[in-house]
Amino acid sequence: MCKPDQHAVAPLSLLTRVQYDATISDLLGDNSQPSLSFPAENEVSGYNNNTEVHIANPLLVEQFMDAAEGIASRAVAANLATLAPCTGTSTTDQASCGASFVKSFGKRAFRRPLKDDEAQAFNTLFSGLNATRGYSAAVELTMQAILQSPQFLYRMDSERAPTPETGAVALDSYQLASRLSYFLTNSMPDSALFAAADAGTLSSAAEIETQARRLLETSRAKAMVRDFNQQWLMLDQLSGLARNPPDGMADVKGIGSDYRESLQQFLDQAFWEKGDLRSLFLSPTTFVNARLGSVLGLAAPANGFASVDNAPGRVGLLSQPGLMAMLAHSDQSGPVQRGVFVRQRILCLEVPPPPPGLNPVAPDPDPNLTTRERFDVHTASPNCSGCHKLIDGTGFGFENYDQLGRYRTVENGLPVDASGEMLMTGEPAVDGPYSGVAELSNRLALSPRVERCLSTNWYRYAMGRVETEADGCSLREVEQKFSASGGQFKELLVAVTLTDAFRYRPAISGDM
Amino acid sequence: MSRVRINPELSRRHFLRAVGGAAVALPLLSSLRAAADGESFPKRLVLMYTPNGVISDAWWPQNITSETSWDLNTIHQPLAPFKNRLLFLNGVDLTVTNDGPGGLHQKGIGGLFTGQQLQSGDLFVDGCGQRAGWANGISIDQELAKTLAVGTPIKSLELGVRATENDVQGRIAYAGPGAPLPPMNDPSEVFQRLFSGFGQNTDQLAELRARRKSVLDTVQAQFKSVSARVSASDKQKLEAHMTLVRDLETRMAASGNGSAACVAPSVPVAVDATSEDDMPTIAGLHLDMLATAFACDLTRIASFQISTSLNHIRYPWLNSMGEGHALSHMGPSDDDARKELVSRQTWHSQMLANFLTRLSQIPEGSGTVLDNTLVLWGNEVSEGNTHSHQSIPFLMAGGGWYFRTGRSLQYSNNSHNDLLVSVLNAMGVPATTFGQPDLCGGPLSGLV
Repeated sequence: MCKPDQHAVAPLSLLTRVQYDATISDLLGDNSQPSLSFPAENEVSGYNNNTEVHIANPLLVEQFMDAAEGIASRAVAANLATLAPCTGTSTTDQASCGASFVKSFGKRAFRRPLKDDEAQAFNTLFSGLNATRGYSAAVELTMQAILQSPQFLYRMDSERAPTPETGAVALDSYQLASRLSYFLTNSMPDSALFAAADAGTLSSAAEIETQARRLLETSRAKAMVRDFNQQWLMLDQLSGLARNPPDGMADVKGIGSDYRESLQQFLDQAFWEKGDLRSLFLSPTTFVNARLGSVLGLAAPANGFASVDNAPGRVGLLSQPGLMAMLAHSDQSGPVQRGVFVRQRILCLEVPPPPPGLNPVAPDPDPNLTTRERFDVHTASPNCSGCHKLIDGTGFGFENYDQLGRYRTVENGLPVDASGEMLMTGEPAVDGPYSGVAELSNRLALSPRVERCLSTNWYRYAMGRVETEADGCSLREVEQKFSASGGQFKELLVAVTLTDAFRYRPAISGDM
Repeated sequence: MSRVRINPELSRRHFLRAVGGAAVALPLLSSLRAAADGESFPKRLVLMYTPNGVISDAWWPQNITSETSWDLNTIHQPLAPFKNRLLFLNGVDLTVTNDGPGGLHQKGIGGLFTGQQLQSGDLFVDGCGQRAGWANGISIDQELAKTLAVGTPIKSLELGVRATENDVQGRIAYAGPGAPLPPMNDPSEVFQRLFSGFGQNTDQLAELRARRKSVLDTVQAQFKSVSARVSASDKQKLEAHMTLVRDLETRMAASGNGSAACVAPSVPVAVDATSEDDMPTIAGLHLDMLATAFACDLTRIASFQISTSLNHIRYPWLNSMGEGHALSHMGPSDDDARKELVSRQTWHSQMLANFLTRLSQIPEGSGTVLDNTLVLWGNEVSEGNTHSHQSIPFLMAGGGWYFRTGRSLQYSNNSHNDLLVSVLNAMGVPATTFGQPDLCGGPLSGLV
């Protein structure tokens, strides 16, 4: 164990919309994405699976009911004979068929075998409904109840056993199966995971690792990595992206989704094909479709996306058109957004709070200054300079990319000055003046701090919460393994599944 | 004064949320109700929020010679037909923001309708590194829903126009400390929730209720049994969830009381709830459906927010291409920014005017629904360039059954908690404090 006295908590976590839809799809083959009408999750630091703020609210609970009704109605209409086959017609026969349905469907929905009292509660519901409303309605309504029960809606990784507990408690096989599947596939355990849980083999590190590596090869894992990237990089900002087209360019309404897809394809390739942190920062590839091709001046296919290698100014994640367009103003580049992004999301450096009593108010910008000169006001004002030297210094190096993510060496007839300065990153190899994104990316690609920051972000995503002191030991382990692997993403993810924080929870006190 | 019912069976419209999320109606012989003089009708409250302050000298009334003699300023020209229904409240401060954690926008929006500070913690970090949690208390709409919304199918409606910031900067309504309510941004979801099931008959409704009751009873029993097997903090979460399931079950029995205007609107056009260009359409659809929901008594409590604090939104339909928050920093000293901001804020007024117009067209007894509705409109700061929490642009519309309207009142550093107390009183709750009690001196003077 990491620390015998200190155990990271494993709070109940409510399924996110992504998880709800994937789970319904795997459970019933229903791909209707019922969560489209659910309210958006609250977010902490970009993450929408944070157990502290993603909690039930009246609208969501109402939508859970609506969704359950729709799902059960479709399932029974299409698949009654497979879901709850029954040849007998007597009440006893049907009660027995109902009990089989409760047992088999309930186990997959709850991600563990039903406890006796649970089975009994649903059997009672079923029998009552069967007597008054008939077999098919009884199956349908019992399914509705299962789909609105906490054992379905919440990942109950830390449900206690009846026996008294102390210290760190190992998650049981079913809980581990759930943890693995929701972390790596954002869905319920597949049949192989259920089989492993049934056999009780998931307790060993070797078996967890085998399962984790297997899950990483599934298509749901691809979707999960996209979901992570969406949150880590806060790509929500690309929804409804509004950019003023420069003179002569057609309206760019709706282009945010093209940028997002381009960026996600880049990130897919970095994760699944190239596989390591260095490629993420240094890969020379850009993905464009016809619309982006015309905006960026790159050759592109008539339909779909194609990769372009070594286009001018394209080196790694930080030079991606989608990212640069996202981190900008509607009519000009965004040194502040870019600086904040690199420091917070890539380096995990928090913006220091302003001095107590200071109301930070930005000065009126002077329209007669250049972008760079205008933003220099930040660093000249003593109230702002503390923060903004750090932020703007980082962001000025991105001046080669305009608000549409186009690469430029000239702005308004003047050569672009893409010199920036990294300050107080805690790493001498990263700190110091730099010119352009390529130079910065070369530093970041080798930075232990960047490795640690990405480890932290994955850890937050995997655990659904911000780390605490009690996570220190587990998180260090992840960082070390990631670093030792040469920055291989899959090794990072596997390492998370092998931590104590992933496999154990604190004892829950009290009588049952 | 109690409601006169000639025949409860005839004078009732029955509503129930149906499969797929819907309210269901039976035809009403509305003439029976219209004839009933002396009825009292349910009171409704709408909280309206617009962000990033206002251009004060185009917002507050001008040519004031007395509290009843004044002219509407530029921004409020759209509200001219309702001038005698308005109450401008100058000099009311968000005193609650003087202390406590969080940035200026964060604590402004969190305190606006809760009268509470933000919780400490580092859940949310604003652009200046300020840290805070959610607001530390219930908002006034939800407090009123406890008494006002009994017996309505929907406890309250939270509506947003591109209110897509899912943290403290984006929430105005709270069910309790740390329990924000998310707004619905897509009109088609609102339609689905309110109207898609209109037209089922009583037998179908009774069957639907019975089915839901048996399902939800079992669900609640599951919550109870699972709660015993989890940690104390998880148990709290599950119990809160179970309470919401119970509330859902209770509201199934609720019926709406319809007026002649209780007619389901047509299915709204599809919009992109993340697109700036669609904001006018979304706002119009939301407010039209809200008016109908009031007419049908589907709900009595609502909030309506146009975007969120610190947004970067342009208003292309007004040819205003500045980014919301940054633009607000530039007014009023920059002429172009000032023009843009005035046109945006005038558009906000226009939305309110359109809503009041709709309400005033829905007959209720011898008057209209507007006679029984109060709108409280506020902002998380007074001006975008100063970020001041003094003299917040507070405007009330309606509430004529309680407030003496048609006036522009001048206060001096009064805490807005007192305003919230006044609103509670107007809605029939005899409170003397709301939010942080030490900031309350009773209701604002001179309102009634």
